[in-house]
Amino acid sequence: MTNEEHDTPAPSDPTAEAPAAPDSAPAPVDAAPESTAPESSSADPLVPAAIKTPSKSATSGGWFWGTGRRKASVARVRIRPGDGTFMVNKRPMTTFFTEERDHQDLMNVLETTRTTGQVEIQVNVRGGGYTGQSGAILLGLGRALLNYDGSLEPILRDHGFLTRDPRRVERKKPGQPGARKRFQFSKR
Amino acid sequence: MAGRITKSEQQLKGDPRHGDKVLSRFINSVMVDGKKSVATRVIYDALDKIQARIEKDKRENMPEKAIDAFHQAIDNVKPNVEVRSKRVGGANYQVPMPVTQRRRQSLAFRWIITAARAEKGKPMADRLARELFDAANGEGKAVNVREQTHRMAEANKAFSHFAW
Repeated sequence: MTNEEHDTPAPSDPTAEAPAAPDSAPAPVDAAPESTAPESSSADPLVPAAIKTPSKSATSGGWFWGTGRRKASVARVRIRPGDGTFMVNKRPMTTFFTEERDHQDLMNVLETTRTTGQVEIQVNVRGGGYTGQSGAILLGLGRALLNYDGSLEPILRDHGFLTRDPRRVERKKPGQPGARKRFQFSKR
Repeated sequence: MAGRITKSEQQLKGDPRHGDKVLSRFINSVMVDGKKSVATRVIYDALDKIQARIEKDKRENMPEKAIDAFHQAIDNVKPNVEVRSKRVGGANYQVPMPVTQRRRQSLAFRWIITAARAEKGKPMADRLARELFDAANGEGKAVNVREQTHRMAEANKAFSHFAW
């Protein structure tokens, strides 16, 4: 439902950007499967994200950004090539979240994209509770990785790391005490 | 309709440790007041205790892994038939009916959890561990409930032609 804020830069001319792609993102090119060579992908309109990469890094000081939301939480995620540190609101991810499930879900993103230990991640997350926050980071991290290396898109998409979870708390209705709960029926 | 796959089944994720959907659902059944992290901890504590007990007192037909013992326990508690009352010509009959897959699982969960909750004075993890371990061996309260249900169905076999 809410497919918001894709902070995508204006679509740039693919041919002009293409030469810069290989050297500005060396780590992702190494990490990516051999299938998408930069030369072939630059001509291919289906993978424009790979070409978008250089303009992204130029404007954000080496960081690749992604914003994610889930329930009432908003996460701003930024990544750059690094040693695998993962900070959430300036605390290590594993101490920020106490739930085993949250750790696994987030590390799972890095493992499936084979980027574990290759990127430094910093997150600013606000609003909601820990479930929403970890979900927001999950989506933000997916989008940031897409900016970082466009060739990861099929993997990210297959695992649902780019899909906004649209579920929200159901609204309370008038004439009832809750969303579904009804007042006790009284015949008269 | 009973057999339809609901949204909640599609969205169900496996549990954090084993990726097991049945266990995940069981965690949800144990959960009280929406406290999932507490429920999760209780279940894993129980599984750890089952694991320890499997290693300590060896029994026949007992799987090596606690998670397999859990599945075996659930299967041992699942009923095949139950009686449901039907009104025919002013009289109520207890009609034996086969139980759908989904209801079998729900009933198994419910009986195990009720049996565990009925025991007092120990942490829920201990009680669940005991009940599950017993059930995996074909013993315990929950298995008794299942047998009782089967006996009722057997006793009312004469009315099975009323099945709908």
